[in-house]
Amino acid sequence: MVQHSRLEILGQHAAGETNSADEPAARAYASRVVGPWSSGSDRETVRSLYFHVPFCFHKCHYCDFYSFVDTQDRQQPFVDRLERELAALGRLAGHPTLRTVFVGGGTPSLLKVDLWERLLAALRTHFDMSEFAASAADGADRYAGAEFTVECNPETVSEPLMASLRAGGVNRVSIGAQSFNPRHLKTLERWHDPDSVPRAVELARSAGIARQSIDLIHALPGQTEDEWAEDLDRVLSLGVTHVSCYTLTYEPGTALTARMRRGEIEPAGEDLEACLYEAAVSRLQSAGLSRYEISNFAASESDRSMHNLAYWRQEQWLAAGPSASGHLWRGGSMRGGSWRWKNVPRLGDYLSLDDNGLAPIAELETPDPARLLRERLMMGLRLEEGIDARDFLADTVAIAPDRVERLSEEITSLRDRGLLRSDVRGRWTLSERGLLVADDVAATLMRTLA
Amino acid sequence: MSANPPNTSLDRAHIRNFSIIAHIDHGKSTLADRLLQATNAVSAREAKEQILDSMDLERERGITIKASAVTVYHRHKPGSKSDDLETDYEAPADETGEHRAVKGTADEHGELFMLNFIDTPGHVDFNYEVSRALKACEGAILVVDATQGVQAQTVVNAYLAINEDLAIVPVINKIDLPSARPDDMAMEVEQVLGIRAEECIYVSAKTGQGIKELLAAICEKFPPPREPVTPKLRALIFDAVYDDYRGVITYVRVMDGGQLKVGDKIRMLGTGRTFQVTDLGKYTPKPVRVPTLGPGETGYIVAAIRSLKDVRIGDTVTLELDPATEPLPGYKPPMQMVFCDFYPATTSETKGSDFEQLRDAMEKLSLNDSSFTFQPVHSDALGFGFRCGFLGLLHMDIIQERLEREGNVEIVQTAPTVSYQVLIRGDANQAVKTSNKGGIPPTVVAGAGQKFPGTEQIIPENRTLLEVHNPADLPDPSSIEDIREPICKVDIILPKEYIGDVMKLCMDRRGIYKSQSFISSDREMLTFEIPLAEIIYDFFDKLKGMTSGYGTMDYELLGYRPDNLVKMDILVNGDPVEALSIIVHRERAEHRGRHLVSKLREQIPRHQFEIPVQAAIGSKIIARETIKSFRKNVTAKCYGGDVSRKRKLLEKQKEGKKRMKSIGSVEIPQEAFMAVLDQGD
Repeated sequence: MVQHSRLEILGQHAAGETNSADEPAARAYASRVVGPWSSGSDRETVRSLYFHVPFCFHKCHYCDFYSFVDTQDRQQPFVDRLERELAALGRLAGHPTLRTVFVGGGTPSLLKVDLWERLLAALRTHFDMSEFAASAADGADRYAGAEFTVECNPETVSEPLMASLRAGGVNRVSIGAQSFNPRHLKTLERWHDPDSVPRAVELARSAGIARQSIDLIHALPGQTEDEWAEDLDRVLSLGVTHVSCYTLTYEPGTALTARMRRGEIEPAGEDLEACLYEAAVSRLQSAGLSRYEISNFAASESDRSMHNLAYWRQEQWLAAGPSASGHLWRGGSMRGGSWRWKNVPRLGDYLSLDDNGLAPIAELETPDPARLLRERLMMGLRLEEGIDARDFLADTVAIAPDRVERLSEEITSLRDRGLLRSDVRGRWTLSERGLLVADDVAATLMRTLA
Repeated sequence: MSANPPNTSLDRAHIRNFSIIAHIDHGKSTLADRLLQATNAVSAREAKEQILDSMDLERERGITIKASAVTVYHRHKPGSKSDDLETDYEAPADETGEHRAVKGTADEHGELFMLNFIDTPGHVDFNYEVSRALKACEGAILVVDATQGVQAQTVVNAYLAINEDLAIVPVINKIDLPSARPDDMAMEVEQVLGIRAEECIYVSAKTGQGIKELLAAICEKFPPPREPVTPKLRALIFDAVYDDYRGVITYVRVMDGGQLKVGDKIRMLGTGRTFQVTDLGKYTPKPVRVPTLGPGETGYIVAAIRSLKDVRIGDTVTLELDPATEPLPGYKPPMQMVFCDFYPATTSETKGSDFEQLRDAMEKLSLNDSSFTFQPVHSDALGFGFRCGFLGLLHMDIIQERLEREGNVEIVQTAPTVSYQVLIRGDANQAVKTSNKGGIPPTVVAGAGQKFPGTEQIIPENRTLLEVHNPADLPDPSSIEDIREPICKVDIILPKEYIGDVMKLCMDRRGIYKSQSFISSDREMLTFEIPLAEIIYDFFDKLKGMTSGYGTMDYELLGYRPDNLVKMDILVNGDPVEALSIIVHRERAEHRGRHLVSKLREQIPRHQFEIPVQAAIGSKIIARETIKSFRKNVTAKCYGGDVSRKRKLLEKQKEGKKRMKSIGSVEIPQEAFMAVLDQGD
């Protein structure tokens, strides 16, 4: 609903910019962003692409992503449309050499194998995928400098699918295990068998997809510390090199939140959440998986998610599919600010509307250098590597010189309180305590730049 | 079809001025509507619920805030006990104002009477408006709910009317309800008020049953206006409202002299100010212009009066050219009983536009309601704001709501307190100077050799009695001889089975038992003397709670009495927060202190650091709690598609703090300032 009204507002904004005169209501399309960006003379090549597959078996109770259970068999029209969008993006972006591709959902692994093959072929046609081809050729080198991740529901992982994905350059799967405890899976309305997780890992591995990541959720209603320790042990026994651990979040508008409001389930509470999180950090770290972002753990630097790091480092990426969001800099660097946009969320709109292949967009933020500075604080501090203080201050001096003093004062005050450190590399990083209250620290710092 | 008043001027014998008084929710406004409809002042189609309550807020809260005066016409055959409703014939509509009868001639319906009636507010906070309204009347309809019987405000309002020497027509209302027990309730009226049960008229304002009899009783039992005692014009101002277009509209009752006419130059005897009458009229209930207002009549005057401050309720209007010398016996000015601070709910530290916006809103509202007072104040903790005085807590809530609604400002409100009188040693002027922190300044009530107000006691040598409206304004403790607080006589009517619990509640609130009297076989009236400070907040709620809603109360101020009172300060993160200071009884200080700091611990959100919250008397800490620093506040998932939404959320946190106030580095939410009020019993 909200997105729809935003769309209308944007539509008014973009009046006269649409190409089709028959279009009943003027709408904004991704061309509003990619167009100006691609015509900029000093643009930096984009290296990342995200695309969204909205189909699900079933709507999980905690999920606020755009997804639905497909009852009309719209997989093929969707792939047709996505192909057109990939073609348009590839053309406008100058057929860039991609280093990271991430396919999220929904449940991307629900897409039929033949449709997957068409999409993988389309990627090769419209983008330079040579980095992935290299990694495919050399099966031994799983860290070939390029990363192609597909999110998988454990029950949908099959041998033919893995083989097709592997052949298309996929070298990483992210498996949504969430929990190994049937009771908690039920709370989440996840119906997979916990044993399907090791099976999925094994199938991916034997197909030659070298990197597997597991998602886990903690602070589930009624979850004990012991149960959580068991989940962690199960994951560690799989020998994966990447784990994401999320605290259960009650997102507005989800079934889980409604049940919480009705008092049917009780949230874990701040203290228990902190305790479970700390348990995860300590258990994973002692097993050799070190934290590189608040919720992400990897066995080595090359096991970190390159694609997600691009998000956290405010790099550029293209977006395709309903509700996918993209990010592009203006003027070739972060200092010029950036566009952020989000495609319309509804599959119907996505399928029926089209501007030379580009998707209609529902939300758009136009370049605002100070905003991007604030986003750098919000995202950068989530990383173990933190933010380069000298770069950041230099950019602040250039963009908002009158705020430098307040920012520095606030940094000092956070440091005095032991929440933030300036480390020897000249980077701002959060302390252990600071990481637990990262939102508050970020909000405090962002306020100095508002 | 509007009911224009007949242009035939009626003699005094055919005018009736009366009020309707009742306990809240006993159906006073509905009865007023029914009377309007029955006399055809409004058609049934137009009859919205509770026509006389014109403010939105009144409708929403179901209470009457501003008294309204309405004039209707009615035909009555002298001597008869029941009048046909005027719905039988058309109301006067033509130019001549003749009553045109549908059934029979107008004369067959009787003689024409002018009924001026004044709707009064039912809540205890507005008692002063009730007494104003009664000054302009000869009679009062006392409404009692047939299911609930005599209640505390019934008694208080009835005595207000009796003290004004008004004729009373008791009405037992809501007799259509299945649980109605009109005979029992009529017996209660006789038992409590000494008005004979047979006098009661049984009415259903909802169905119209009994209205014919009530209309006849109004004409028969209420006396006509008294004879003028002087040929010079004297009119009593009993209410005034502010209108955006016409300025102040003054409601008057003409008592003496001849006709007041449009164009007359009038003089207010009290203030000495003069104005030219530009408009005279009556509400029927639509405003209708009239050329003149004569003795015995009520109506309104428009005279290009810009602000309510230019009009004193209770003042006497006379003619500039032929003035009366003696004013009519006036009213007491409204008395502010409850005080608190309003601050703009923003984080800015300087005296900025938010403050100006609040000031504008308050000035505008004071045009409409002259019964609250405000003075600029500055607090170290809360910045610039206003110290305000109100008639009571409901009045305070209404003012806050109207400011926010009509003035579009957000307010942080501090806990309401009462005013205290302090007997001090030494130089009073010095004490006033050093103690006032802005806001409503302490005033000297009486000096050495004068009597303590309301008593025969003499203030001793070298002592001064000071009144302070804010605990923060207390003079240096070394100069304080004693602190005196306002004491109320509280009447509570309740079913017998709850007497034990309610007695205990009163005692816990430092009440002194006065009397217990019989109302009916199952209900009694308790009378206590209780400090006002103990009842202003949750006493009424507690009473309602422990009597399953059946207990009712009313109070009146008796005067000030000394007690063993001390000032208790609250320190948040080591800093004293003036707005949280309270004056408490020494023996209860520790209990209150402990309760208060634990309340504050719940209400002040966790910060990045630990916050001690302490209660102290002087330098002695009597209670302490610690707010732990928060442990976890971090988004679990934050990826590319989350950036915009997440950023907005974090930036909104700042806005979410609008109703917070920063004290040092601690953000204190509005509710925390009200925590002071919770007695913890």
